Amino acid sequence: MDTTAFLARVEEYHRDGWRLALINVTTVLPAAPAAHGAQTAVEAAAVGAAPLDGPGVFEIAWGFARGGEFKTIREQIEQGQSVPSISEFFGAAFLYENEIRELFGINVTGMGVDLKGQLYKTATRVPFSHGAVKARLAALAASAVKPS
Amino acid sequence: MKRTTIPFGPQHPVLPEPLVLDLILEDEKVIDAIPTIGYIHRGLEMMVERVEYTEMGFVVERICGICSFMHGMGYCVSLEAIMNVEVPERARWLRLVWAEISRIQSHLLWLGLGADAFGFENLFMHCWRMREQILDIFEKTTGGRIIHSVNRIGGVKRDIADSELAAILAELQELGAAFKETARVFGTDPSIAHRLGGVGVLTKADALAVDAVGPMVRASGIATDTRLGGAFMYDQIDFEPVVETAGDCLARVLVRLREVDQSIDIIRQAIDKMPKGEGLPIENRPRGLPSGEVFTRLEQPRGEVVYYVKANGTKNLERFRARTPTFANIPAMIKLVKGCDLADVPNIILTIDPCISCTER
Amino acid sequence: MANPFRLPMVPRALRNLVSRPATRLYPTELRPRFAGARGAIVFDVESCNFCMLCARRCPAAAIECSREDRSWAIDQLTCIACGVCVEVCNKKSLSMSAEPGRVHTRAEATPDGRRPGREEWLKPAPPPDLTTAPVSAAATD
Ligand code: SF4
Ligand code: SF4
Repeated sequence: MDTTAFLARVEEYHRDGWRLALINVTTVLPAAPAAHGAQTAVEAAAVGAAPLDGPGVFEIAWGFARGGEFKTIREQIEQGQSVPSISEFFGAAFLYENEIRELFGINVTGMGVDLKGQLYKTATRVPFSHGAVKARLAALAASAVKPS
Repeated sequence: MKRTTIPFGPQHPVLPEPLVLDLILEDEKVIDAIPTIGYIHRGLEMMVERVEYTEMGFVVERICGICSFMHGMGYCVSLEAIMNVEVPERARWLRLVWAEISRIQSHLLWLGLGADAFGFENLFMHCWRMREQILDIFEKTTGGRIIHSVNRIGGVKRDIADSELAAILAELQELGAAFKETARVFGTDPSIAHRLGGVGVLTKADALAVDAVGPMVRASGIATDTRLGGAFMYDQIDFEPVVETAGDCLARVLVRLREVDQSIDIIRQAIDKMPKGEGLPIENRPRGLPSGEVFTRLEQPRGEVVYYVKANGTKNLERFRARTPTFANIPAMIKLVKGCDLADVPNIILTIDPCISCTER
Repeated sequence: MANPFRLPMVPRALRNLVSRPATRLYPTELRPRFAGARGAIVFDVESCNFCMLCARRCPAAAIECSREDRSWAIDQLTCIACGVCVEVCNKKSLSMSAEPGRVHTRAEATPDGRRPGREEWLKPAPPPDLTTAPVSAAATD
């Protein structure tokens, strides 16, 4: 992603009186299971098809609200890439940024407050990394939970 | 000076929820607070990987026992947007009525807890006695006191008869009149003013800087309210956000007091404007599987909640995210706690109305 | 500074001294539940045709049903009282009771493997009725 252009846009939102509503990350696996005709991700994993191979990306959305309006800045990054912090403009950003680092393993540079991995107490380290999501789906497929 | 660290929670002097702050003190002054969440984290975001989207509604509703209705509604409206379902008008009005009743319920609950925290047991009991009447209304209309399970993707499951609606309104107005006495105690009692006035002041500039939401910002003189956006029939309701300017703990109490009255008035207008009659449609069942994504915003009793739902044409959602008001208010809470006396920490934390269950989806 | 002698709660507190309590003496005094309140699932084995729809649609997987064995079981402690099964049953075999709930003091299974709150039914198929059995052509020959 283009860091300078991104920060310039964030600054613009800040200047125009928008409020940071959330930062959301989605772990996107390489191929949508639907592409393989499977009804669920678990089924797709059960077919053993390609969807779980390959690296996959993270979709990040920074959501801003002003009155009834809501806008987002979207970026896609690959595993291992980092994003710049926006704490400089939005005071609440540090919470979301610590969250995405702990849950998704995305490195955020220049966070306002660094909670050093203390925010969440989770059983899995980085529960939404691609590896962890794939492992869970594979385990689910192996143990076919619900009769249907 | 020597620093002391006090673990504030998870077992609590103020609320029965496992909020954890590590308070770093110098003498009696708090100089830093480090939040930890996750003691009751249930991993809803992970759960969507294995729970089907139709069943997920029941799970989302259980995020929190106080905003249960709003969470169910937020989930359903998100999926309705993705699946392009037109919800019948009467169902939308009914949702608004239930949502506002939840707000009254939540505020009464909180006012009681607040009174308990500053040591006013008697007031606590009166708030909760009134809340009980609201729960009875819920039980009568939805079948459940706390978990209502009345929202469904495409509408609502139960209708309320017009005569019943009129009776509910009469009951609420009576309750509102009785509530005046309690509200007067909150507003005029010298011990309350002494305990809360001037404590934990969030200035207007700070409120903007930390992106706080809900009664928290409205108590600092900022008139934001997601309901003003007009979605979910609020565009047909005439109301002004309740605003106080002091920004202290007392102002946050007063905002909630006045919002109880405001909600009763909103319900009156809604019942007035709603299409009347027996057997009007209250739901449109969706077809097919959801595919697409949406952000939904609602004004919960504690402030704005944002849902993000992404569906990929399978029975499982790809991502479900709820950013609850308490999560958004944590930066404000930390901001307020820094620099205050240890003895004021419980009241400051309580006046943001923290809901840890919400925060730890 | 507010007037320290202003005591707005006092009138109410005095009234409380002489008024009736706002609470009930549960469990000796029960409030009747409202019509339509959701509660424990009641099953009528006579009308059920073991179609298994309820078991499939239950979000909590509280119902176990088998067409072959003609058995039906519910785990009342797993049930979340959502009402989905009542809605989907075509035979109207399911309903919700508005009775005050049965109280279970433990959730774990007892040593003999019985779970509290679990209710089971079995309805063996009636024996084939021989009197009206069609007579094959070969037999009359
Ligand atoms: S849906 Fe009704 S008829 Fe079918 S198995 Fe369940 S209870 Fe029996
Ligand atoms: S009420 Fe809901 S949870 Fe309970 S058995 Fe029926 S479908 Fe399952």
